[in-house]
Amino acid sequence: MQSIKVAVFLLLTIFLCGCVGTGSEVNKEISLPGLEKADPNGKLVFALGGEVSILNPILSTDTTSSAVEGTIFSGMTRINEKLEVIPDLAKSWQVSKDGKTWTFYLRQDVKWHDDKPFTADDVVFTFNAILNPKVNSVRRSDYIIDGQPIQFRALDKYTVQAALPKPFAPFLVRSGMSVIPKHLLAGKDINTAKFNRQPVGTGPFIFKEWVTGNHLKVSRNNNFYRGKPRLAEIIFKIIPDANACLVALEAGEIDEAGIPPKDYRRMKSLKGINVFEFDSLVYTYLGLNIANPKFADKRVRQALAYATNKKQLVNLVLKGLGSAAYAPSAPISWAYSDQVEKYPYHPDKAKQLLKEAGAENLEFTILLNQGNKEREKAAVILQQQYKKVGVKVKLRVLEWSALLKIVNVPKGPKDFEAFIMGWSLGLDPDAYSIWHSSQYPRGFNFIDYKNAKVDKLLKLGRVTMDKSARKKIYAEIWQQIAADQPYVFLWYPRAVVGINERVGGLSKPGPAGLFLNLEKVFVVK
Amino acid sequence: MGKNKLAIFGLSVLVFFTALAIFAPVIAPYDPTEIVAEDTMGPSTQHWFGTDDYGRDIFSRAVYGARISLTVGLVAVSISISIGVLLGALAGYFGGWTDSLIMRFVDVMLSFPSIFLILTIQAMLTPNIYNVMVVIGITSWMGVARLVRGEYLKIRELSYVEAARAIGCSNKRIIFRHILPNAQAPIIVAATLGMAGAILTESALSFLGMGVQPPMPSWGNMLMDAQAYMRDAPWMAVIPGLLILITVLSLYFIGEGLREKSDVRS
Amino acid sequence: MRTFVIRRLLQLIPLLLGVSLISFFVMHLAPGDPTALFTDPSIDPIELARIRANWGLDQPVIIQYFYWLGNVLRGNFGTSYLTGRPVLAEVIERLPATLLLMIPAYLITLLITIPLGVFSAIKKGSWFDNVVTVLTFIGMAMPSFWLGLMLMLLFSVQLGWLPTVGMRDVLAGNQGPVASFIDLIKHMILPLTTMTILSLAGLSRYQRAAMLEVMDQDYIRTARAKGLPERTVIFKHALRNALIPIVTIMGLSLPGLFGGAFIIETIFAWPGMGRLGVLAIFQRNYPLIMGIVVFSALLIMLGNLLADIGYALVDPRIRYGKK
Repeated sequence: MQSIKVAVFLLLTIFLCGCVGTGSEVNKEISLPGLEKADPNGKLVFALGGEVSILNPILSTDTTSSAVEGTIFSGMTRINEKLEVIPDLAKSWQVSKDGKTWTFYLRQDVKWHDDKPFTADDVVFTFNAILNPKVNSVRRSDYIIDGQPIQFRALDKYTVQAALPKPFAPFLVRSGMSVIPKHLLAGKDINTAKFNRQPVGTGPFIFKEWVTGNHLKVSRNNNFYRGKPRLAEIIFKIIPDANACLVALEAGEIDEAGIPPKDYRRMKSLKGINVFEFDSLVYTYLGLNIANPKFADKRVRQALAYATNKKQLVNLVLKGLGSAAYAPSAPISWAYSDQVEKYPYHPDKAKQLLKEAGAENLEFTILLNQGNKEREKAAVILQQQYKKVGVKVKLRVLEWSALLKIVNVPKGPKDFEAFIMGWSLGLDPDAYSIWHSSQYPRGFNFIDYKNAKVDKLLKLGRVTMDKSARKKIYAEIWQQIAADQPYVFLWYPRAVVGINERVGGLSKPGPAGLFLNLEKVFVVK
Repeated sequence: MGKNKLAIFGLSVLVFFTALAIFAPVIAPYDPTEIVAEDTMGPSTQHWFGTDDYGRDIFSRAVYGARISLTVGLVAVSISISIGVLLGALAGYFGGWTDSLIMRFVDVMLSFPSIFLILTIQAMLTPNIYNVMVVIGITSWMGVARLVRGEYLKIRELSYVEAARAIGCSNKRIIFRHILPNAQAPIIVAATLGMAGAILTESALSFLGMGVQPPMPSWGNMLMDAQAYMRDAPWMAVIPGLLILITVLSLYFIGEGLREKSDVRS
Repeated sequence: MRTFVIRRLLQLIPLLLGVSLISFFVMHLAPGDPTALFTDPSIDPIELARIRANWGLDQPVIIQYFYWLGNVLRGNFGTSYLTGRPVLAEVIERLPATLLLMIPAYLITLLITIPLGVFSAIKKGSWFDNVVTVLTFIGMAMPSFWLGLMLMLLFSVQLGWLPTVGMRDVLAGNQGPVASFIDLIKHMILPLTTMTILSLAGLSRYQRAAMLEVMDQDYIRTARAKGLPERTVIFKHALRNALIPIVTIMGLSLPGLFGGAFIIETIFAWPGMGRLGVLAIFQRNYPLIMGIVVFSALLIMLGNLLADIGYALVDPRIRYGKK
């Protein structure tokens, strides 16, 4: 009797899995459709991994909301495929010699989606709203330099001037903030305004519909200043489960999905789907709390770096879709430099360093956040690797907010030993908030990194305007940080995206994504 | 009669699994947390049930997983039965405002959608194996409390309880020594089913990443890991899935058998 | 009956207070706070403190609770931290989707389990009974996240019969009422099937047990002794009495159904309340958590009340309000 029951379950499992088994392995070329076949009524379906919270670029904090906002709004500047800042709503700009006064000359042919003209007043209104303490905008500190806000004013209808209290190189990237309409928001409580669910922007697509938890729709803006978009509509479908999302891509119900490493080979062999790969501005690291006596000795931290087999990590965690990291910058950043100590995998050297530091019996706990499969895998593998050099590691998985409560507590010394996290890097190399000693304990220097030379260089990097001079400064910073090894840098992941073959007009694959020129994207019938 | 055979069968399966759990270090060919081979390898002579997404031996993990899953089930159910019996007995025996107070509390607890209650408490305690047991235990005692209260309401009216009271036995003695043994049968039935429920709850918690934490294997988190690989490595799911199924079935058969036996006696 | 219903409705008030009090404190005892969402190296922590104060989170918990309670009594459930919209609007917006899955799942389960349980009980020990036992247990032991995805792969990818996820076809423009209804049904089939299979096992077991118990009772033996046809004995005498415990169990299974809905809503991208609630907990979106907990508790209580009324309907011996 029982054997029959067992057989039934086995059969059911194998039947359901077997009939959807993997196809044959073919590595096919990317095939993009030609523009001549573009469907003038084409609709593109994106998947969003989470709920959209709010459609107001100065308030939203989640990537899902910004993905939708990116189609509706635009800013004075934007970035191109090479990650350079290029004109958008502003035709051009100039900086005064002292680096303190920035003047932006705006396009005069731009209209809001409700047909009202776009002017300098809107830009000034946007930045002032961000700076207003009553508005719950986390972007506020982007426009405050050493405690003093940047002053924005309209010189005339189409000229905006920003007066900085002191030179500040990262400002150029931050000038790309999406602009919100003054005529719809002036005098209203921006935190709770109806606008946040029915946004009006200057971007290539007009907000059309939002069915909470299910989907959002935006439709073509015929008057878009960079040219009429080729797509008639973009639909954002909310699919929280990553596996279900891949199934939907395969079934042709969505046109684009991020592909986790484990599914890479299968997706690549599927018909009808183009798989793109590119580097991203992200790194994952093991942070070591220097304020904790266990990691106060530099040799212990270096020993852990030598004991880390980054190649195995990349192979097991990312299935080879990534590369080992050695510094707190990414190879695709213009400020990257690989002139840093790399600590190649060397368990004997690790053991020796631990012995010198008197830490042969090192034991510590790695904290990590629940729900991130990659970090969880990395932790389990690191536990194995460190065991080989006699270091005992315990893991403690916490909810994201609980983990932050521990590492981001505003008082030192902080009560933890190590954690795994990642930083996604901004377009500007400025890393003041992560490495400057003033950012501990209140700030993102979670681990109490303190180095006078780095402090000085970080400040210098912010006020230096010349790009090649900045590049040198940052190279020196990375070198010093790698020597101190406050983090064991783990890897840079490669982004892998699957896109239905019917989609064309994509930008060159790069860290800025494939949809940089959204108005040029199309689908074929 | 057939029921009893099934109950005995269930019991032997459970005994067998318990033995697996106890002797896991002897039985398992590999360390359950160690990477011993290539990842996601199919079944072979070295790895009977293949390897998982890290390259760990699935058979060894399943054997150690028995340890954890059965412990979670057993401890969680002990907690829920203890709370349920205590509160149910107090409510049923004393009646009056004690009863109202306790039963209103039961009502409140029963009005929470279970997943929210579990998640908020779990968030407060941070997920680790002990807290998984505690959380499942303290969110699943309400049914037992109602059941026990009913039994006590019935039994406290019986003449032997009256007699015990007459000869001056303390309330404590009557509650635990006189009534409890006679209310045993339904409690044991509830316990077997509760244990099955606890094992299933742990696997649901694993879906949220709030179950037993890595690298420790539990049948629930093994299944959860397998979900992502259901197309590339379906063997990852078969073993933990089967083990959960057989355990739950066995516990149910035991419960049924006990229920029948107690009915016959009464 | 009417006095009974009114009394029960009044009893809901202290129960809801208890629910809100417990969840408010448990929630605030959990480490972390809503600004954890904003971790981005370019955000100054001072900004986070300012936003926290804007939300009133710098006050002691007890004061926050009474502040919340006071607002709720005036019909204001607060605003969601993340969206800036009223909690009430967010909850009400999600409620229909959840109910759209829960109520049919509930009814279908009932429609399947009653005959299944009855026949299993009558044919106790037969192959039919055994097969039903095994199949329902497979359903129970198979986690929903597993079952749901398998069904999706089979029916959407392999066979292409049904849509994978979501609640409606997003590419279709304005459809007529009939077309959009058919579209909705198509999207409902997979999540509904998953949900039903999962709750089948428990209930059909209870139905079977209840039926077995009743079949042993004296009045059934009497009925049989009188020479009534077996059909009459089973459906007229036994089933009616065996339904009583089922009604109670149905009421008790409501909280679990709410919980189970969450995983199914996630897998099938169904825009329901369960998904919103779990997300709110992870994000520490306090006003939203409170709104959802209080609302679902209210629904569960009303469900139980309905079960009790149903109890009176199936059991002629019970008359409420007369005692």
